[in-house]
Amino acid sequence: MPRINSPDVVSQVTQLHDAYEKALVANDVAALGAFFWDSPDVVRFGVNEQLYGAEALAEYRRTSAVVFTERRMVRRSVLALGEDVASVTSEYEQKVFGQPRHNRQSQVWVRFPEAGWKVVSAHVSNALVGPPQTASWEGYADQVAAALRLPLAAAHRTGVAQNLQRAAAIAAPLLAVDLPSTSEIAPVFVP
Amino acid sequence: MISGSLTAVEIAAGVRSGSLSALAVAEAAIGRANAANPRINAFTTLTPERALAEARAVDRSVAEGRDPGPLAGAPYAVKNLFDLAGVVTLAGSKINRDDPAAPADATIVGRLKQAGAVCLGAVNMGEYAYDFTTENTHYGATRNPRDLTRSAGGSSGGSAAVVAAGIVPFALGTDTNGSIRVPSSFCGIWGLKPTYGRLPRTGAFLFVESLDHVGPLAGSVADLAITYNAMQGPDPADPVCSARAAEPVPSDFEDGNGSLRCAKLGGYFASSASPEALDAVDRVAAALGATSAAELPTPGLARSAAYLITAAEGGHRHLSRLRARAADFDPGTRDRFIAGALTPAAWLLHAQKFRASWREAVRAVFANADILIAPATPVSATEIGQEMMAPGGVSLPVKAHMGIFTQPISFIGLPVIAAPVHTPGRMPIGVQLIAAPWREAALFRAARILERTGVCAAPAAPLP
Repeated sequence: MPRINSPDVVSQVTQLHDAYEKALVANDVAALGAFFWDSPDVVRFGVNEQLYGAEALAEYRRTSAVVFTERRMVRRSVLALGEDVASVTSEYEQKVFGQPRHNRQSQVWVRFPEAGWKVVSAHVSNALVGPPQTASWEGYADQVAAALRLPLAAAHRTGVAQNLQRAAAIAAPLLAVDLPSTSEIAPVFVP
Repeated sequence: MISGSLTAVEIAAGVRSGSLSALAVAEAAIGRANAANPRINAFTTLTPERALAEARAVDRSVAEGRDPGPLAGAPYAVKNLFDLAGVVTLAGSKINRDDPAAPADATIVGRLKQAGAVCLGAVNMGEYAYDFTTENTHYGATRNPRDLTRSAGGSSGGSAAVVAAGIVPFALGTDTNGSIRVPSSFCGIWGLKPTYGRLPRTGAFLFVESLDHVGPLAGSVADLAITYNAMQGPDPADPVCSARAAEPVPSDFEDGNGSLRCAKLGGYFASSASPEALDAVDRVAAALGATSAAELPTPGLARSAAYLITAAEGGHRHLSRLRARAADFDPGTRDRFIAGALTPAAWLLHAQKFRASWREAVRAVFANADILIAPATPVSATEIGQEMMAPGGVSLPVKAHMGIFTQPISFIGLPVIAAPVHTPGRMPIGVQLIAAPWREAALFRAARILERTGVCAAPAAPLP
């Protein structure tokens, strides 16, 4: 059984993870690349890409500089397993084109005799913020479609719920804008 | 043989002077359409009989000494959501094939006919205009004449393709969230989305009443102007069409940029664009002497509101078709239309009220600028079937995000000319010239400067 959460290992990996985050936000491509294991076996899953091997990672960094706005870490857990292996999982609030996204990141760090601590495997994903899950939107769609006498085929139900969920996420920041009580919709009707 | 590179202005001048026969021009255009269409898949309905009859009528007017109109003999095509008398208005759908043929021309088609223009037929579009790439399941994708592996843009993709291919000097399109400006950018031609309410929409199969515009796409600024002028004027049958009298713009401006104050839009409009889009904006800004930068407040929220209005009104428009024939919709639009039909009222009402407040906020920006400059699309033409793009580094779905720069602008009905920037060895890309409401004349002045200085152009693509 490896020693769990050796304070020294947790501290080292936490500092490295802070430095990685800093490089990420600054889009310091050279620094970012150096955090990863230089091996054909390194793996990184992005929100929309699956990168296998150091070359694929480097190519991605070269062509796809990721720009984050208002990115803020909201939770992190560092788990050290023995002296040479650690996992870091963290959550962020950030915006993509003005739309809030909840970002999740998982990394496996390994200490190599010469290269030192490197990320050998990583995965990030985004979730929409706030709205209920698709399952509830399916219920909503069923009810409203019935009220509108709109037959909702089983084959279309999930896609419709996904679209409603997406629209809910888009509506959320807009609904947060306070408009004066005197504002009207643009008039078209002329009596 | 009559060259496809003749502009509408040149054709009309030749026909009016008797040196060119409208019939010969029409026959040549029909020949080009038949030759090019198998490659670009743009025409869904060719109307050669109509074209020849209209051309003969123009030639007869000239022979009898009557005025054949400012567009005498100029051939054009329409997005297939415009009514053409005797033709079924498809609006890109399978469902509408079962509709009866349109009894009359759409208002602006009638005005073009009155001006002597010759209609060659109807062209492809994304189903019911809910689209940015004209990848239509029922009629196939329209291909970009400058690279047949790439999309012509959408939803007025057929309109842009037939102009870029040199089949016709101009075509009609519609723009709700970018559907004239995106294909103009992809195909490297000029496009005009006039002020909301400037041109009548009667006889166009609408998508989102609150946001729908009609307008021309063309190969030159003079053609954009002459066709725009021919279509202006009140139309009581369209409640949105302004009662103000036509305000024709000169077809040519040779007096320099005079006092035009131009500003580059920063912030949102600079952060999510590819290097090629930003380069095109810089070249246009330099040519127009844009010395200042401007920012619009919260364009992301404007885009969100436009998204919600589009979903709700679009879904509601098709409710009866969704009830009866959901399975016959394009899979690319169906779930979005159904979800839109189920939109909670509060989302729509809040978005509509936000529209009025945002209009006021943007009006203030025009106190210091006559023309705002922004990219038309975040990237140049994407490949047919391409799902993701990475403008400015962030990976995004193509279809959902191609309108990021156009959507906030049409949301409040501002007039825009999409100006084509070409670079050897690369696909062209469009730049939006944006003016305050009813200030189309300023746009044309700026566009003419860009054309005269060679910064922008729309040469016909040599088809392989």
